[in-house]
Amino acid sequence: MVKTKKTPKQILQSLFYIVFFIFFVGSICFPFFWQLVNSFKTQVDLFSIPPVFFPTKWTLDNYKDVFTRQPFHLYLKNSFVISFMVTVICITVGSLASYAISRTNIKGKKLFLLCLLTITLLPPITIINPIYRLLKTMGLLNTYWGLTLANTTVQLPMTVWFLQGFFQKIPRSLEESAEIDGASVFQVFYRIIMPLVAPGIFTVSILTFIGAWNQYLFAQVLNPLKIRRTVTVGITLYQTDYTVPWGTMTAASIVITVPLIIMVLIMQKRIVSGMLEGGIKE
Amino acid sequence: MASSSMRWNMKKIKEKEKMGYIFLIPAAVLISVFVIYPVINTIYLSFFNLRIQTLTEGAKFIGIDNFKKILSDQQFKTSLGFTLKFTIIAVFLETIIGMIFALIMDRAIRFQGFIRAAVLVPWAIPTIVSGLMWQFMYSPQYGIINAIFIKLQFIKDAIPWLTDAYWATTATIIADVWKTTPYMSLLILAGLQTIPKQLNDAASIDGANKVQSFFFITLPLLKPVLTVAILFRVLATFRIYDLVAVLTNGGPANQTASLSLYTINTYFNFGNIGYGAALATMTFLISLLISFLFLNTLRSKLEGAE
Repeated sequence: MVKTKKTPKQILQSLFYIVFFIFFVGSICFPFFWQLVNSFKTQVDLFSIPPVFFPTKWTLDNYKDVFTRQPFHLYLKNSFVISFMVTVICITVGSLASYAISRTNIKGKKLFLLCLLTITLLPPITIINPIYRLLKTMGLLNTYWGLTLANTTVQLPMTVWFLQGFFQKIPRSLEESAEIDGASVFQVFYRIIMPLVAPGIFTVSILTFIGAWNQYLFAQVLNPLKIRRTVTVGITLYQTDYTVPWGTMTAASIVITVPLIIMVLIMQKRIVSGMLEGGIKE
Repeated sequence: MASSSMRWNMKKIKEKEKMGYIFLIPAAVLISVFVIYPVINTIYLSFFNLRIQTLTEGAKFIGIDNFKKILSDQQFKTSLGFTLKFTIIAVFLETIIGMIFALIMDRAIRFQGFIRAAVLVPWAIPTIVSGLMWQFMYSPQYGIINAIFIKLQFIKDAIPWLTDAYWATTATIIADVWKTTPYMSLLILAGLQTIPKQLNDAASIDGANKVQSFFFITLPLLKPVLTVAILFRVLATFRIYDLVAVLTNGGPANQTASLSLYTINTYFNFGNIGYGAALATMTFLISLLISFLFLNTLRSKLEGAE
């Protein structure tokens, strides 16, 4: 291979690209990186003027405080249980609905899609107070089920939108041949269609889980009590009128975020391609 | 033989249709209970005077008095003004920056996987957490942003990021743009990848430069994807709650209290259910109005799904 000399234009282009790359990745990742570094700082370092970049003394005290000042492990469990329940229900209800929309000729399909679209366009504050009073009457405030059902409903449109895209891609002939062999509609759905869309379902599950995990408004209003509080609500409650314990809060935000970021980075390819597919579908 | 197989087919189709309806039931029940009923209930209550403090007296029908009150409510005007300004500027910046990022990502470049992974970081972080992150970075004494700006000699004195109305709005916009631009750039990238490369190649053979081929080929072809993305971003930004709740809590002096924040405060801090419902109804109506501006886009989205 003969190394060709780069033309000035090419050099300029790659220079431009490097500058872009540093700026892009830097500005995206810096706030998170800064938070990560801060979570290991002592009070002295955190509140030094001007700020010191790296901790002069690394400490894990902030992480200890996260779990001693509030029952944060409980919040983590609550968030996990609720997000998991939301994901399972959303995928189950969503797959059934998506199958009905994309595979059968039922009436009211359009109305249903319109409803879904309206939900994604609807400001949650329009529905929050009636939901609050409804769950109060049913004794479902501060429970797993109450918040799960409310969250499921707002996540459902996204799930259905993605899933019916995956369903549409499966050739009809597969279904038909199974039907001729005498399989019932439910069997076809369960045995033939579902396994084929499994990769898609997996991607949508991750998106749904993250959406539920990050939910704040419903969690704040519907589950205010400690016993069923979620992490997004818990993290805002370290500060009092008198103190803002930044160290604890930065550490808590790392605890909340790191599982998501690890998950996202591992599934990066899947998530991006899932989003891209969902994005193209107008 | 033929007729029996046809009968069998008809039966099959009927059965399938029946199953279709049954499959829709769970979703329909959830939506009716948690969306349709609440929306109707909110609109209904907006015509009543109902307060937590006087709950025993019940609701009193007052017609459109709540809406009359809204029109003369100074805080409503401030909130609406802030929310609109915030929405327009944030979505505008997100679209422009997202477009630039997407155009660069669309080219075969090194570290593509790394860039895409980096893009997902802000997206995956809960808005609440990103609000807290930025709050600390904006701090006048301890914040890194002021420290960097002073070091680079952009500014002499620390910027009062969160205590001045103008800067607080700017700060909220920056935090929002940081969080949502990456996602926007992915959506735009999805659109870009559907455009055949030959089109741009052909244009360049015909003597079009890059700027021309962007404005006359790429942009028009991108328009459908772009309008959908913008519509959803506009409506999501318009209902901003989490970010202002932690970053500024509406301050200073309720100047950055978005419509959602103001409504939530009216409901749950002041206990004014009737007036809160009227505010929520107004927010809903404005959202509908915005959607109507994009009616054609919505229609094509619905038809694409069928």
